[in-house]
Amino acid sequence: MSKRLAPAPTLSRKREREVCKVLACGNGFRRSSEQGKGGIFRSGLAAYPVILLQIIAGGLLLGAVYALFSAGLSLIWGMMNVINFAHGEFVMIGMYVAFLVVTALNGGPVAFAPAAAAFLFLLGVVVYFGLIRHIIRGPMIAQILSTFGLALLLRYVTFWLFSANFRTLPDNLIPGTVDLGGVLLGMPQLVAGGAAFVLTIGAHLLLTRTALGSRLLAVAEDRSAAMLMGIRPDRMQALAWGLSAAGAGIAGALIATFYPFSPGVGETFALTAFVVVALGGFGSIPGALVAGLLIGVIQSLSAYAFGPVYKDVVVYALFVAILWVRPQGLMGKLV
Amino acid sequence: MLLEAHQVSRAFGSFLALSGAELELAEGEIVGLIGPNGAGKSTFFNCLSGDLQPTSGRILFAGSEVTRATPEAHARLGIGRTFQVPATFEEMSILDNVMVGAFLRHPARGEAREAARRIVEFAGLDRLRDQPARSLGTPGRKRLEIARVLASEPRLILLDEALAGLNPVEIQEAIALVRRIHARGITLVIVEHIMEVILSLTGRVLVFNQGRTIASGKPRDIVDHPAVIEAYLGQRRQRRRRE
Amino acid sequence: MRWGWLAIAVALLLYPWILTGPFYERMGADLLLAAIAAAAWNILGGYAGQISVGHAVFYGIGAYVPLLVYTHWQLPPVLGIPAGILVSLAVAAVIGVPTFRLQGHYFSMATIAVAELVRIVVGNWDFVGAAIGLMGPAVPRSLLDLSFKSAVPYYYIFLAVLAAILALTAHLERGRMGYYWRAIRAGERAARSLGVPVRRYKLWALLLSAGFTSLAGSLYALMVGFVDPESAFGILVSVEMIITAALGGVGTLLGPLLGAAILVPLKATTNSLFGGGGSGLTYILYGGIILLLARFEPGGLIELSRRIATRSLKKAKARAA
Ligand SMILES: Nc1ncnc2c1ncn2[C@@H]1O[C@H](COP(=O)(O)OP(=O)(O)O)[C@@H](O)[C@H]1O
Ligand SMILES: [Mg+2]
Repeated sequence: MSKRLAPAPTLSRKREREVCKVLACGNGFRRSSEQGKGGIFRSGLAAYPVILLQIIAGGLLLGAVYALFSAGLSLIWGMMNVINFAHGEFVMIGMYVAFLVVTALNGGPVAFAPAAAAFLFLLGVVVYFGLIRHIIRGPMIAQILSTFGLALLLRYVTFWLFSANFRTLPDNLIPGTVDLGGVLLGMPQLVAGGAAFVLTIGAHLLLTRTALGSRLLAVAEDRSAAMLMGIRPDRMQALAWGLSAAGAGIAGALIATFYPFSPGVGETFALTAFVVVALGGFGSIPGALVAGLLIGVIQSLSAYAFGPVYKDVVVYALFVAILWVRPQGLMGKLV
Repeated sequence: MLLEAHQVSRAFGSFLALSGAELELAEGEIVGLIGPNGAGKSTFFNCLSGDLQPTSGRILFAGSEVTRATPEAHARLGIGRTFQVPATFEEMSILDNVMVGAFLRHPARGEAREAARRIVEFAGLDRLRDQPARSLGTPGRKRLEIARVLASEPRLILLDEALAGLNPVEIQEAIALVRRIHARGITLVIVEHIMEVILSLTGRVLVFNQGRTIASGKPRDIVDHPAVIEAYLGQRRQRRRRE
Repeated sequence: MRWGWLAIAVALLLYPWILTGPFYERMGADLLLAAIAAAAWNILGGYAGQISVGHAVFYGIGAYVPLLVYTHWQLPPVLGIPAGILVSLAVAAVIGVPTFRLQGHYFSMATIAVAELVRIVVGNWDFVGAAIGLMGPAVPRSLLDLSFKSAVPYYYIFLAVLAAILALTAHLERGRMGYYWRAIRAGERAARSLGVPVRRYKLWALLLSAGFTSLAGSLYALMVGFVDPESAFGILVSVEMIITAALGGVGTLLGPLLGAAILVPLKATTNSLFGGGGSGLTYILYGGIILLLARFEPGGLIELSRRIATRSLKKAKARAA
């Protein structure tokens, strides 16, 4: 459609290259060489509106993944009033589980996504029983430092096991690109974004439409009333931690297909999740979904406008701005 | 009037915990506030002390509007309160707890300490003065809360079930303490379930049910009031059903 | 108690004469610097109970501004210290004013977000040296440059600063400020009901803490003569402040010094045992210590020893009876 359009004159060569980097992997820095030479520009994407569409589409796909892991953080926050500073590390471990399944067992996405979910579910439950349960009614310092310490521990154990090097999964795990009227979307991004979107909606339905969900929410609402109804809060809270971590794990495994990772990536994800939850309102999964998509788009646009290194700066600044202007988030509280 | 509350309502989401509560309080009164659990008594106290903003209504204290003032402003003006679930500063000693209250009117440490010492003695806690608050049981904590708020030298104190969970001897001691507080010229509103306490302390009683005032008058008359009996019996019936 | 303080003071004054040589001298200075930073964090996190996980932002600003005024205007770095403190106070206000209206979590989250934000910006901003960082004067031009070959002069400067911070903290601890901070930490709702202006007192704690942390960063830059984004703004800078205060004992006067006296030699040892690769292990250890403290002894070693002391006292009494 846009093949005949002249390239937008404002777009410098350097900027083009940056855009290309961002687009090539949503957020990471891979494949720039390959695609920089190739398809994207030849198909006319240097034209402004298409680039914009491409950026927004990429942002939405990544944003769906943000929504998926932020929903877990939001659930824990809304239910127990605990902020999990290690939530980003859960995502990061999901990435390394995918890495191990691919390198050691030669598995594909169908194997590593469930594997990450299962492993992280277990980790979440263990963390709940070993740590969270004991600090949940403790002083503020214990609440914050426990998960903060856990984040460090997980990050540096991974660092110790896998080194600080950036890893990538092989290109051909989910091959292909889809062309939507000139907007090119990589299959890895499409699969990750689509799956994350479906899973986030699924999590919402699980909470609002199933007996298990209403038991979880009952505990969130009023612990002692839930106990009177014969619900064991401990089990429900452990389950919530398991689910929250599993969501983070799948999210990690999904983006690992196109996002280079090292043990340090967790911090960025944790902060992104904070912003999403603050924007969406804590305890609200639909809020997390909308906010996640929004943050994804904002991030992509700012990577384009200010350069990739500033994409997180814009998001973190947005966080502080939200706290100043609208601390209750865009939507209300709990589901 | 020391305190005037007009049509005070408070909603939690769509649930009206308090709807149109009225209270006029003259200086020097002791008023009882009774009603079954969940009637909205604590919610009313929270509105009167600035802890919760009323959804609608007006509250005046000593002639000035305090409806939307912060809790600390309420304290400064002279409205003190205790909490149904004691909220003592657990790691701090009993004297230090009381000193936090005393600092409100005595910024200098020495004076605050002196004032707190007197209050601790007045409340009969001097033997335990240097123990941390967490070493106290519930009766001790309730007493400490009373001492703490007294140290902030209020004109009005709202006592939220300050005598609940006490044994008969402790109740008698607490009644005596409330009398001595009253004798200092402090006005009191007391939420209490034990009728004996209400009868012996208060000059006037307000009955809440489901967020509304259903009756008010002399304590003697209130106990025989049919609506009051219904409210309480209804609750007992409900409770039996739940068990 | 008074004798204990005297003993500590004498030991600290004599340390450079007892353990001589560049390694121990530098370790002594590092120890005091860690104690200063942790004591600054402790005012806010320990006394007022507001947990910052991004204090590196103040440390980093304090470290950068002195070298910045040297790099761009050839001024003595010391002159940058007050400017650094002012910038830190402004950043502190940006974080504290909105979040202190909200639950404690929001403050913690905002601190780490702002710290990361500033770290990324500094790492990409050419005016402040981008990823490379900044250098101080290579050769001292005058005494005002405070550039010494030996660590001993720094040791005594740091000791004076630490003494000043601890003296001020001790003074505040005994007065209304200290009582209000502890009341806020124990329960904001109850504190407010007694007339404590919670937000204002939290802000006081944050501003004091940010100012002193900034000063600590400046002292670091003066001694090392070089800063880069990781060493000044990295998350590990915040981690070290937290763990130093938390291990010794949050909300206690001596906690930060005790924590530093344990951790700094420990880190020097692990680093020399495992070489550069030791840093990963050090931080695994740090994470583990923080986690275990939070889980089992949020009061740190001082609280632990206090508890053991009272328990053995009770036992002794029981035996006597
Ligand atoms: N913060 C709150 N959020 C939601 N509901 C509340 C809250 N506080 C009180 N309620 C509800 O308001 C009603 C009145 O509560 P309360 O004032 O504590 O009653 P009382 O003190 O008379 O026992 C109860 O049904 C209670 O569940
Ligand atoms: Mg009540």
